[in-house]
Amino acid sequence: MTAAIPVLAIGLLDVMWIAIGLFVLFGALSFVVLSLTWLERKTLGRLQRRLGPTRTGPMGIIQPLADGLKLILKEDIVPSSSERAIFWSAPVLVIVPAFMIWVTIPASHDAVLRNLDLGLLYIVAFAVVGILGLVLAGWGSANKYGTLGGLRAAAQLISYEIPVIMVVISVAMLAGSLNMREIVAAQSAYPYALIQPLGLVIFFIAGLAEVGRTPFDIYFAESEIVGGPFVEYSGAHWSVFFLAEYINTFAIAALTVLLFLGGWSGPFLSENWVIVWFLLKVYAVILVIFWIRGTFPRLRIDQLMAFAWKVMVPLSFFTILITAIYKFYEWPAWSLTLMSAAGLLAVGYAIYRRMVGPAHRVAQVRARQKALREARLASTQSPGGTTNVV
Amino acid sequence: MLYSLKGLLLTLVSTFHGLRQPVTRQYPATGTLWKRRPAPTPVQPRFMGFPALTWDGIVDEPYCTSCMVCIRQCPTQCMSATMKDNPLNQDGRSSRKKIVETFEINLNRCILCGICVEVCNFDAIVMSHEHEMSTFQRNGDRVDLPALLEIGMKFQAKTSWIPPTELAKLAEKNQSGGDSQDPEVAAASKEPDGEPDG
Amino acid sequence: MADASSETIRSGEPIEMLLNMGPQHPSTHGVFRMVLWVDGEKIVDLEPHIGYLHRGSEKLCEGEQYHQVITLFDRMDYISNFNNELVYCQAVEKLMGLTVPERAEYVRVILCELNRIISHLLYVAAIGLDAGAMTPSLICFRARERVQTVFEAVSGARMMHNYFRVGGLKEDLPENFEDMIGELLPLLRDDVEESDKLLTFNEIFLARMKDVGTISADDALDYGLTGPCLRACGIDYDVRKAEPYSVYDRFDFDIPIGLDGDCWDRHYVRMQEMYESLRIIEQALAQMPSGPVTSSLGRRLIRPPRGDVYVRAENPRGEIGVYLVSDGTDKPYRVKVRPPSFCNLSALKHMVKGAWLADAVVILGSLDIVLGEVDR
Repeated sequence: MTAAIPVLAIGLLDVMWIAIGLFVLFGALSFVVLSLTWLERKTLGRLQRRLGPTRTGPMGIIQPLADGLKLILKEDIVPSSSERAIFWSAPVLVIVPAFMIWVTIPASHDAVLRNLDLGLLYIVAFAVVGILGLVLAGWGSANKYGTLGGLRAAAQLISYEIPVIMVVISVAMLAGSLNMREIVAAQSAYPYALIQPLGLVIFFIAGLAEVGRTPFDIYFAESEIVGGPFVEYSGAHWSVFFLAEYINTFAIAALTVLLFLGGWSGPFLSENWVIVWFLLKVYAVILVIFWIRGTFPRLRIDQLMAFAWKVMVPLSFFTILITAIYKFYEWPAWSLTLMSAAGLLAVGYAIYRRMVGPAHRVAQVRARQKALREARLASTQSPGGTTNVV
Repeated sequence: MLYSLKGLLLTLVSTFHGLRQPVTRQYPATGTLWKRRPAPTPVQPRFMGFPALTWDGIVDEPYCTSCMVCIRQCPTQCMSATMKDNPLNQDGRSSRKKIVETFEINLNRCILCGICVEVCNFDAIVMSHEHEMSTFQRNGDRVDLPALLEIGMKFQAKTSWIPPTELAKLAEKNQSGGDSQDPEVAAASKEPDGEPDG
Repeated sequence: MADASSETIRSGEPIEMLLNMGPQHPSTHGVFRMVLWVDGEKIVDLEPHIGYLHRGSEKLCEGEQYHQVITLFDRMDYISNFNNELVYCQAVEKLMGLTVPERAEYVRVILCELNRIISHLLYVAAIGLDAGAMTPSLICFRARERVQTVFEAVSGARMMHNYFRVGGLKEDLPENFEDMIGELLPLLRDDVEESDKLLTFNEIFLARMKDVGTISADDALDYGLTGPCLRACGIDYDVRKAEPYSVYDRFDFDIPIGLDGDCWDRHYVRMQEMYESLRIIEQALAQMPSGPVTSSLGRRLIRPPRGDVYVRAENPRGEIGVYLVSDGTDKPYRVKVRPPSFCNLSALKHMVKGAWLADAVVILGSLDIVLGEVDR
C-alpha cells in the first residue's frame, strides 16, 4: 500500500502534465483557427480585389473574435423532428478526433504532447473517426439536405482515405519509421517533395478532399445542398463544426509540411526557434489552399468518386511501387524523382486530354459558325438586297 | 491541367492587384472602429434620388402650385397634395395664383422613375440626390411639404440648379441668337424669374 | 410529375426521395421552386413551381398610361432593363407609326448592348457560384459596377432607368458620355476576358458543364427556346439578324453558336456574345450621328390609334415579344409579353431528368432565368 503511493503520485503528476499540455494545445489550436478564419477572409478578399474585414480593429484583426462571440450568443435551434441525442453528440464526434490528431503532430522536435512511435498510423486512424460525426449530424438533423450531405461525406472521405494512407505508407517506407520525429529527421538532407513530387501532389489533393476544401467541398456545397450536414445547426454547435473543419485543414497542411516539406528544418534558426520554420511552411501551404479555393469550381460527386478510384488510388499504388523499387535496388535519389515526376506528367497529360477534349470542339463550332455566316451573307446578297452600311 | 494552372496564375496576379489597389470602396465611412472618416457615395449629376420640391428664392415661395399633374401621372400614386390661394399673389408679389398647401410623398412607395419631374409644368419638383433615407419608423419616409422643400433646397444649393424651362429658353436664345434675332424670344429671355446660380 | 413518383411506388422499385429545392435556396436564382424526386443523387423527376414573384405586371399595364408602362417593363426582366424598355417602346411606336430619330436609335443600341453584356456578366457570376467558383462572380460584379455607373450618368438610375421614351429618349446623352464610355470599354473587355479565362476552359468547370443538360436542336425548337439556349444547339437564330429592328442591320457582328446544346455551349455562346456586343458598341459609337433624340411627339399624351401590334426583339435571355392592343384611349387595352425566360424554363424538366442533383443547379443556372420575367 505504501509502495503504491509514489507510483500513484507519479501517475497523478503525469496526468496533470498531460492535462496542462492538452489545455495549451486547445488554446493554441483555437488561436490557430481564429487566425485562419481571418487569414482566409483577408486572402480571399485580396484575391478578389476586395478588402476583406476592415471594421473590427486594425485590418479587421479581431473579426474572428466578433464572429465567435456572435456564434456563441446565437440561439441554438434544435429541429423538433431531429434525433436529439445524435444531434447533440455529432459535433462532439467531429471535434474530438480533430483535436486527438494533434496530440502527436510535432511542431518542432520538442513541441509535441506525446511523440508516438506509431504516430502516423495514429493520425491516419483518428482522421477517419470524424466522418462518423458528419454522417450522424446529417442523419440526426432529420433534413434531406443533411442526409444527402452526410452520405456524400461518408463516400468522399472514405474514398480519399485510401490514397492518403497509401502515400503515407510510401513516406514511411522512405523514412523507415512511422515516428514523426524520425520522418522529419530523415528529411534533413532533402525534403521528400523533391524525390517524391507525385506523393506530395496526391497527398495534397486527397488532403483537400479529406477536409472538404474547394474543389472538393461537395458534402456541404452551399449551392446544392445548402450546407449539407450542418444545415440544421446554428450557434455554438455550428461553430464546433467550423472549428473542426479549420483544425483539420491546419492538420493537413501540417502533415504536408512534416511528410514532404522537411518539417521544421530550415536555415538560420536553431533549438526551439525552429517552430517558426514549421509555422511559416504550414501557413504557406494554407495560403495555397485558400488560393485554390479562390480559383476553382466544385466537382460533382460522381466525378469526385471517379477521380478517387480511377486516378488517385492507382497513382498512390504506383507511388508505393516506385518507392519500393527505389528502396530495393538502392538507386540514387534522383531516379525516384524522375519516376515520380514522369508519373505526375503522364497523369496530368491524361487529365488534360480527357477534360479538355470538349474544348477542342470549339474549332468545329467556329467553322460551323463561319459557314452559317457565309450562307446568310449569300442569301442576303440576293436581289432583296442588304442594308449593310458598314 | 493547363487551363487550371492558367486560372491559378490569373488569381495570383489578381491577388497582387488586390494588394496594390483593391476595387472596394468603403461605405458609409472608412477607417477603423475607433477612427472613422465619412465616405459618402458619389453620385452622377443626373442621379435620380428621391423627389423633392424646389424653392423659388426670388419670390420666396415654392414653385409648386399643386396642379396635381405629377400626382395623376405617378405610376405608384405615392403623392398627395392640397392647394390654396396664394397670399403673395394677392399682395402682387407673385405671379402664382394658387400655391401648394400640403404635399406628401410616401417615399417607401416611390419607384424613382422621374415621371413627376418630366410632367411638371412649373419646375416645381426635382429628383434630388438624396438616397439614404432609412428610418426606424414604418411611416418614417412619408415626408411632408417642409421636409420636401428642405431636401429640394439642399439639392438646389448643391447643384446650382436652374429651372429646366429657363435652361430651355436659354438654349433657344443661344440658337436663335446665332442666325436671327427673334424679338419675342429675346424679350422673354431678358426677364428671368427663376433662381439665379448658386 | 407526381404520377411518375407514385407509379414507381406501385411498381415496387425503390422509393425515391422527394427533395424540395427552393423557393429559398441559394441557387434557384430568385424564388423558383423545384420539387425533385431523387434516387440517391440521381434526379428521377422534377416539378417546377413558379409564381412566387407574380406581381401582375401585365394586368397593371392595363391601368397605367402608355408612358407609365415603361416603368413596369423595367421591372419585368430586372437584369436587362434597357432591352425591355426598347421592345415596349418599339411596340407603341409601331402602333403609332412613329419614326425615331437616328441618334436615339444609336443610343438605344449602345445602351442595350451594354445591358446585354452586364446581363451576361451576371449570368457568369451566377453560374460560377452554382458551380462553386467564387471569384468570377466578384470579377463580374466589378465590371457590372462600372457599366452601371455609366448607366447612372446617362439615365439617372443604375437599374430601373425609365430612360427610353415612345419616339426617342428622355434626354440626350450627357456631355461626358464619350469620355466615360471610352474609358469603360477597354476595362470592360479586360474584365470579360478575365472571367472568360478563369472559368470557360477550366477543366473542372468543363467537367461540370460539358454534356450536362443536353437538348437537341429539334427539342429546343419544340420547347420554344430562344436566345443563347437555342443558339447553343447550333441554330443561328437571332432576332437582331433574322428580323433586324432598330439599326441593328447596320452593324457587322456574328451570331455565336454551339454544337451540342449542353450547359457549356450555352456558357460559351454567352461569353462570345459579350465580345460581339462590344463590337457592336464600338461600331455604333463610330457611326453615331448628332441630332435630336426625341420625336415630334414631344411631351404630348400618348394615344395610339385602335389596333394591335406584335413586336419582338432579342433580349439577353432570348426573344421577347410584346403584343399590344390599343382601344384608342391613353391606356393600353392589353399588354401581353412573351418572356424568353419563361419559355426557356419550360425545357428544364427535359434537361434535368436523369441528371445528377448537382447538375440541376448548373442546368438552371445555364438557362439564365430571371424570375421577375417568368412570373411577371
